[in-house]
Amino acid sequence: MTGRRRLGLVAAAATLLAAAPLSAIFETWTWLMQCILAVGLVAGAAVLTRTLRFPTWAQALGMVVVLLLTLTWMFPSGEELLSLIPSPATFEHFGALFSDAGNDTRSYGVPVPDREGLLFVAVLGIGAVAVAVDLLTVVARRPALAGLPMLAIYSVPVAVYVDSVPVLPFIVGATGFLWLLVADNVDRVRRFGRRFTGDGRDVDVWEPSPLAAAGRRLAVIGVATAVLLPLIVPGLNTGLLNSLTQVGSGTGAGGPGSGGSGRINLFASLSGQLNQAQVTNYVRVTTTEPDPFYLRFGVADVLTSDGFSNRAPNGRPLSQGLGDPRQSAASAEAQYRQYRAEVEITNDFGQSLAPVYATTIDTDGLDGAWSYDPNTQVVYSNRTTTKGKKYSFDYLRAKYTPAELRTAPALARDNPLRTQFTTVPDDAKVDKLVGDLTRSEDTEYDKIMAIYRYFSRDNGFSYSLQTADPKAGASAITAFLAGKAGYCQQYAAAMAWMVRKAGIPARVAFGFTRGSTRDGNAYILTNRNAHAWTEAYLDGFGWVPFDATPAAAVVGSTRSDWAPDTDAVEAPSPTSSASLAPGANPSAAPGAANRPDRDLNAGGLDANDPANRSGSSTRALLTVAIIALVLALLAVPALRRILVRRRRHAATAPKVTAVAAATGPAPPGSRDIVVTTEAVRAREDAHAAWDELVDTMVDYRVPVDPTETPRHTAQRLVREADLTDGPAESAALLGRAEERARYARQPLQGGELTVALQQVRKGLAKTATRRTRLTAIVLPPSVMLRWRMGAGDVSARWMSGLSRGRDLLVRFSPRRLLAGRAR
Amino acid sequence: MTTPTWDQPGGPLPSDEFLAASGAIMANIEQVIEGKSATVRLALAVLLAEGHLLIEDVPGVGKTKLAKALARSIDCSVRRIQFTPDLLPSDVTGVSVYNQETRDFEFKPGAVFANLVVGDEINRASPKTQSALLECMEERQVTVDGTTYELQAPFMVIATQNPIEMEGTYPLPEAQRDRFTARIAMGYPDPRAEMAMLNGHGAHDPLNDLRAVADAALVRRLIATARDVHAAEAVQQYAIALVTATREAPEIRLGASPRSTLQLIRTAKAVAALEGRDYVLPDDLQTLAVPVLAHRIIPTADAQLNRRTTDAIVAEIVHRLPLPHDRNRSPYDTRAVGDTRGQYESRGR
Repeated sequence: MTGRRRLGLVAAAATLLAAAPLSAIFETWTWLMQCILAVGLVAGAAVLTRTLRFPTWAQALGMVVVLLLTLTWMFPSGEELLSLIPSPATFEHFGALFSDAGNDTRSYGVPVPDREGLLFVAVLGIGAVAVAVDLLTVVARRPALAGLPMLAIYSVPVAVYVDSVPVLPFIVGATGFLWLLVADNVDRVRRFGRRFTGDGRDVDVWEPSPLAAAGRRLAVIGVATAVLLPLIVPGLNTGLLNSLTQVGSGTGAGGPGSGGSGRINLFASLSGQLNQAQVTNYVRVTTTEPDPFYLRFGVADVLTSDGFSNRAPNGRPLSQGLGDPRQSAASAEAQYRQYRAEVEITNDFGQSLAPVYATTIDTDGLDGAWSYDPNTQVVYSNRTTTKGKKYSFDYLRAKYTPAELRTAPALARDNPLRTQFTTVPDDAKVDKLVGDLTRSEDTEYDKIMAIYRYFSRDNGFSYSLQTADPKAGASAITAFLAGKAGYCQQYAAAMAWMVRKAGIPARVAFGFTRGSTRDGNAYILTNRNAHAWTEAYLDGFGWVPFDATPAAAVVGSTRSDWAPDTDAVEAPSPTSSASLAPGANPSAAPGAANRPDRDLNAGGLDANDPANRSGSSTRALLTVAIIALVLALLAVPALRRILVRRRRHAATAPKVTAVAAATGPAPPGSRDIVVTTEAVRAREDAHAAWDELVDTMVDYRVPVDPTETPRHTAQRLVREADLTDGPAESAALLGRAEERARYARQPLQGGELTVALQQVRKGLAKTATRRTRLTAIVLPPSVMLRWRMGAGDVSARWMSGLSRGRDLLVRFSPRRLLAGRAR
Repeated sequence: MTTPTWDQPGGPLPSDEFLAASGAIMANIEQVIEGKSATVRLALAVLLAEGHLLIEDVPGVGKTKLAKALARSIDCSVRRIQFTPDLLPSDVTGVSVYNQETRDFEFKPGAVFANLVVGDEINRASPKTQSALLECMEERQVTVDGTTYELQAPFMVIATQNPIEMEGTYPLPEAQRDRFTARIAMGYPDPRAEMAMLNGHGAHDPLNDLRAVADAALVRRLIATARDVHAAEAVQQYAIALVTATREAPEIRLGASPRSTLQLIRTAKAVAALEGRDYVLPDDLQTLAVPVLAHRIIPTADAQLNRRTTDAIVAEIVHRLPLPHDRNRSPYDTRAVGDTRGQYESRGR
């Protein structure tokens, strides 16, 4: 029974390995400690019951009981007997933990802190899996089935992480499963008897059986099929194929669909979208507001030395309401008007943050999977994405005037908002710059505006996608301040940093500009409309948006009354009028401050121009190219056949010096083989013609028999293919020419072999079925057969080489040496 | 002796003359043997290949008649030996008798001293007597009492025999069988030929009316012509391959001898010449393989139990063996024989 006992321990260890995916869910490792304890106790119970030779049902019962006791001890309600024996109150407590866990799953995003309910569920689940795996492996001896409960563990992070799941835990879990399989198999083989090779040497336990080669081959084929099949099936288009067919030439760091949960790097995503060569429609929005501001979905409010980053959103389900800023003192000073907007999101835009207008107060069409983070005013989900969603919402549009904003008082130093949103990394240059800019300003608003105006063209700032550092780290921001060339994310981040330095809470918001393309009342937002801007907190008004990015450079950009375009007053510069970005069509962007005077380094956009225009046609071209490629590949055998035939025809073409065919035996005395040039030539011609005839026969499915003489073959061809008159005579002529070329002193000369070949071919085509004819032309069996044999030869050579190499390796195998010594 | 030696049989004939002469002989024989032109042609080919012919079949199908017709068509010395169980070797080879007048032993030539020797029912004689033919058939000479007597050219033994299973027969020794170039079976005539035979033979034997159409000198020239036929290297390879295959076939205990290879090529040359070609084709070898090889091989006991005749075994070898090529060409031959045969062979021979 030692084998069984060990198998039980392996089952327990494999269960723990399979639990590795949970590491992606919990913040700490408490769950692991508890799971190890629980699984260990369950395994101990299994070993004990087996040692005592309990029946199977008792073994199972024992394990379940031990699991229950463990849970009782770990998650006590305080009313247990000896803190181990569960009482009814314990089960009530368990029920409460369950509902806690349910609530926690709704309210927490991953990774979750150590919530007792979640830990309870984790330990219970892993313990149950341990029991199941043990029973399946040791009792039922079906370790392969144990993969199912293990896979169930893995499905947890799959369900939580919508788009991508860390791969390492899966590998760990899979290793555990494989270990289990191997252990079971080794145990089986051990019980079967000793293994030894043909040369009498004992085979090591871990040495692969020669019979296993077939299994390995099957495994390789299976895995390859599993990987390749989704690429071929057109319905499964989220995989590799889709990303391959994307003609993206940009960085693509955050292409559509890569938005995970709150862990998405909004900066990287933004730069990726802006840098895509292809214009993809993301959002279609219709609103009752005549002049809407930006659509917003994300916020980055953590500023460290790595730059701005976003936190996982944290909030309450949408069903609990979003709150109304009009009732909140913090933002009651503003003037609000209520509008309603409708958003349709295409299948190309899938992320866990839903784009809405700022200060949304009610949503319609987003289900319970969505939550609202009141701190960042972001609508998010941990379970689903926006892909293909359609929803509508009511929102308030605040109208501020500079005069009103100037009334905003500075926040107290210990105000939590101020402490949280004004932390900045130390940077002497930035500090000095902010100090210079804001020294003479009194109000918070004026300070912000001073910083805002700093980013104007007068100070040398210019818009450029090319200099962008997608990482947007602090060093990138300082580099932007020094180099003064960047795009929206640098502008927004730099301004937020400086505003924070001035003691005013600030953060970076992400979303879409208003968009330049209109479809009736709706705005069509593409990846080119992705944008970032700064939000500053003014007491009494809430978070007020400021967009420091040059309006002219941003497609569909718009400006507010309180933060007018700093570049707008400048005189048009005639030099750059020709470098209009393709999407920035002024007529298509009502209200947008588009002017031809942008001094932007439009290289990044211009370089993408052709790709933009031909975005859809590229795909069509690609399709056409693929079809053409397939057709060309299909045509290769036929082409090859034609080339071969042409070469042979060239050889058999009638010569100018047509010597009369010598018939009958040569005059006596001519005992030598004739080797004049003409004779040699005639022989080669006959051979070429014969080869061609044989290939033609193969093409038309007339059997070819290597034991047959040319004469016989020709006769049989005539007989079997029902050749008549011309073709029959031609076939006989070809046979005669070949046999004379091979066996006679003097070859047949002056025969019209090419004509004969054509006639035979015609005759064969006449009597063949349509299918045979088609095959003979499109996929000539002669060519295919030759290729197949070539491939066979190559693979045979490979295999023999491989086996030689393996033999060589086996000779030096340390295992074998060890095995020899042990014996 | 005054007879021409074997090495100088005379000058070869031009093609048309050859065909005319050989055609005349064949036509002559076919006056007697109806509807057996292939057999007749083969018999003549054996003559031209300087070989010996063994005609084996059940009684009454015209074995002796063929032998006699061939002999009569050629104006040369013909001897006939009726092999009987009490025939002695000296009856075949000759014997030295004491001449009282000269007081010396005088050699009385036996039946083999002729251009054509017709040995009837050869397997009715004891092996001892049969063996008397060994030396003369291969070496074309007879040694009696230490004296060697050379035989005339052409020299051909045409023997007939009943199938071995028949009563009162002694099977030929292997060495003896190996000396016969070809063994042919007459086979029953088809009904039409049989009807013609009834009409022709009813009144008198047409054999009696047969007149010679060739003489020994002409035959020698015909032989020289046949020798001159070209056998390409590929053909020779094929012959060797065929013979080797009989030696390697699992069903065969004793394969064909090197002598058989030689005789196979010689006969093939003669056949080619008779068909008006000056080169041998593998087709010739294929047609000749059974007559030339089958009577020499000894099948294993298993094959005999399975009632596999040597004819069938040789025919199968011919059917199985791919043609040799001087060029390495298509995938339809060489090592891919198994594959392509499986794929492209739909017929059985």
